[in-house]
Amino acid sequence: MMERISPREESLRLRAPERVMDLERLGSLHPSRLSFVRSLIRQMARQRWQISATRFDLDDAGHGTAIYRLQTPCGRYHGVIFSQPLSDDARSDRVIAEAWDVTFGVVEGDVDEALLEQMAANVPLQEAGRQHPRLLVLSRANRSLRNFAAFSEALSAGRQPDPAWLTQAGYLYRTTAVYGNGKFGMADFDRLKDNPDFQRPFSAQMLAVYLLRHFSIQQIEHVARRQSPATAVGLATPLKRYLGIGNSTGLGMAPFLINHPQLIEQWVKSREQALAQISAQQPEEAQRERLLALLSRAQRHLEQTVTADLEQGERNAETVAMLPEVRIWLEQVPLTYDLWQELTEWSYRALSLEAQELINTLLLELYPAIVEPFENRMGVTERLELTPEMPLVRLKQLIETHYDWALAYDFDDSENRYWFWYRSVEKEEPRLGVRGHEPGVDRELKLAIAPRVAGTHRVVAEYLRDHPRATVVDFLIQHSRYKDIVRRIQTMAETPLGEIRANLWAREMKPMHLLRAKLSFFGASRFDPKSDRWVRITLFQGAPLVEELNAEPDDLRDFDDWSFPLEPSLNASPESATSDTRTTAIPGATP
Amino acid sequence: MKVSYNELQGLCRKAFQGLNFEDGDASDAADMVAWMQLYELNGLEALNRGLDYLLAEQHAEERAPVLLYADDDLAVLDGQGHSVLQSSSLALELGFAKARARGLAVIKIRRCHNRQLIMGYLARIAGRGMNVTAFWRNAQNPLTEQVVGFRANSSVPEIRVYAVTQVPEENEPNDGVTLVFANHVELLPSMRSEYDYDLLACHKESALIASRERAMLDGITIDDAVWDKLKHLATRILVESTDASRSGAGPGTTDND
Repeated sequence: MMERISPREESLRLRAPERVMDLERLGSLHPSRLSFVRSLIRQMARQRWQISATRFDLDDAGHGTAIYRLQTPCGRYHGVIFSQPLSDDARSDRVIAEAWDVTFGVVEGDVDEALLEQMAANVPLQEAGRQHPRLLVLSRANRSLRNFAAFSEALSAGRQPDPAWLTQAGYLYRTTAVYGNGKFGMADFDRLKDNPDFQRPFSAQMLAVYLLRHFSIQQIEHVARRQSPATAVGLATPLKRYLGIGNSTGLGMAPFLINHPQLIEQWVKSREQALAQISAQQPEEAQRERLLALLSRAQRHLEQTVTADLEQGERNAETVAMLPEVRIWLEQVPLTYDLWQELTEWSYRALSLEAQELINTLLLELYPAIVEPFENRMGVTERLELTPEMPLVRLKQLIETHYDWALAYDFDDSENRYWFWYRSVEKEEPRLGVRGHEPGVDRELKLAIAPRVAGTHRVVAEYLRDHPRATVVDFLIQHSRYKDIVRRIQTMAETPLGEIRANLWAREMKPMHLLRAKLSFFGASRFDPKSDRWVRITLFQGAPLVEELNAEPDDLRDFDDWSFPLEPSLNASPESATSDTRTTAIPGATP
Repeated sequence: MKVSYNELQGLCRKAFQGLNFEDGDASDAADMVAWMQLYELNGLEALNRGLDYLLAEQHAEERAPVLLYADDDLAVLDGQGHSVLQSSSLALELGFAKARARGLAVIKIRRCHNRQLIMGYLARIAGRGMNVTAFWRNAQNPLTEQVVGFRANSSVPEIRVYAVTQVPEENEPNDGVTLVFANHVELLPSMRSEYDYDLLACHKESALIASRERAMLDGITIDDAVWDKLKHLATRILVESTDASRSGAGPGTTDND
């Protein structure tokens, strides 16, 4: 029986900001029920969104144009995809690339010939084009050459491809940037703020990725049919579901996390509030069994997660090794009122960060009715504002109370001022340089909040010695360069979960944690770092298919149960498999 | 050319950073320009008119206003001849603080230019629940005066621009702006005068809201030449690329599979 606790009790149960906002912990998060891909799929199913192809003009190699119509109860949108030949030497996932296998966008409203012509001239150019004001999302993707060749070869020969290919790399395409919010002339996010379909952060971007996944399935089947019309078969449903969309991401994601602390606060707070509510729930036997089943599935999923990165590989292995212990703990402990609270406290003492956060992620699966209302609280109108009338001594107190973590670093130590962040002239790509060794420190991006706060604290303390009754605006008129950081401190002191507690100058700082934190809220799985600043992930692997969505599912809980997808085993004879053959359980549906 | 609001704001911010604005001033100035353009009040044109000043001032050490006089209700600041993009935000914050404490405050900023652009920051002050009105006079022939009034929590002002046909005796060049802040009382401009005047422009709240809606639907029209100037300035904050920096930001080896 679910019982919502009062806001006061919820606040008492919240984890402390110093624990939650620790960078390494944020870099250990897993995708969850609150991730944007999950919320989108639930919204689409709940509101009976329908997706249909209105154009599918591809040549034998799969090059051409496809348009998908999305009809919601409130509006109509179109996903427009341009697929074009690309030489191997031009294929790069870096933002500095200038051509891609596919480029695509999502448009609000209808696409007439004039708009299609405008898009055909500009969408393939991506950043170099001028995009239409009705374009909500602009993106591009590159093929996984190995998977694309293996899949088309198998399907055209009448065989299903080996599912292990998708365990190695769970997609046919990986996106390399998904732009929204007014970039290159597109629609501002503000235009969507009253639109019930896409007012949640990143929901339009996630839809674009979902449409690309559908296209990738249709395209590979099309290519196989054109290669060998007599023998080709469609992709088996379990494989379709096991097929996601990859994404390659570098440091470009990092500035967003620092520049949008109020939004990050909403994401983290929603997750923490949901966990606080859950910690107060009295478990029943069915929920314990469900958690055990989810643990098994997550364990298997992590065992099947492939990465060449030694450190991530060790983290995955460590989590896998710890889960049997969790299972034993869960099976042995009686069903007391405080079981979930005890579980999280025990895991904090006994388990690695990734294992701790995995348990939290799985707890979120147990209580949809508690968790789902938070999906509407992931957005916020952002504005960092000054409180100019605040006594300056109060500002000093706020720093000492809420930014004590920033004051703890010794910035005279060269190890603590090792890196600097900057934007490269190459497509403004954010990069890291070594202070004193690489050019650009005079154009440093002020992403490291801790040293700025510490510097402000020092100057404020000095000013107060001569002006003990000064207000913040008195101080700023004398020291205007601190306006920006003071505004941030005053605003964020009200919202303790927005600031990521780390020194982004420190030599030991791992940018990968920043990337993973953001990607986990998107719903990324299969974290596969390619360096300490570059990661491959997969989105929508295991997600319901467009045809399942169009069939208007009755059981929305089951429809939503696709986290931690598993490699399917195709039991039927490969030669007889067809696109309609359900040869095994849907991945992720059962442990 | 059409651009989005976010794009305009972002490019202006980078351009101001390229002009050596501090980060806070750069984002405030960008908001001020973009706000005017969003409401079809020609923010970019105003910026373009003042761009030579900004370029000339770009290496100035201190561009904040200097406090000349202050008591609990009133303050006079010297903008030192700089654009309001640099000098006005803290003066407005000072007025906000005084009005919070005293109910009503008056701020005078002397010696500043590009005064049209102050409207964007007035909108921000109004958004924080303050009634605020700005008044300035252009010493030209004919003498014109402009009043911009925001009611508390309104995103748009009422604006009046009028020419004074009976020129007052005191008609020295006036390069200042006077600001009145009131915690609780609306200060909207409503023309009522015993003297002759010609109303040159009247922007009502409803018309400005319609402008904003148009911009959100169709994009914001801008002058390509000004856009190119801003893009050029924005490149100043970018760092040259090297082989090491290029490879360091990527996946290490090839990223294809």
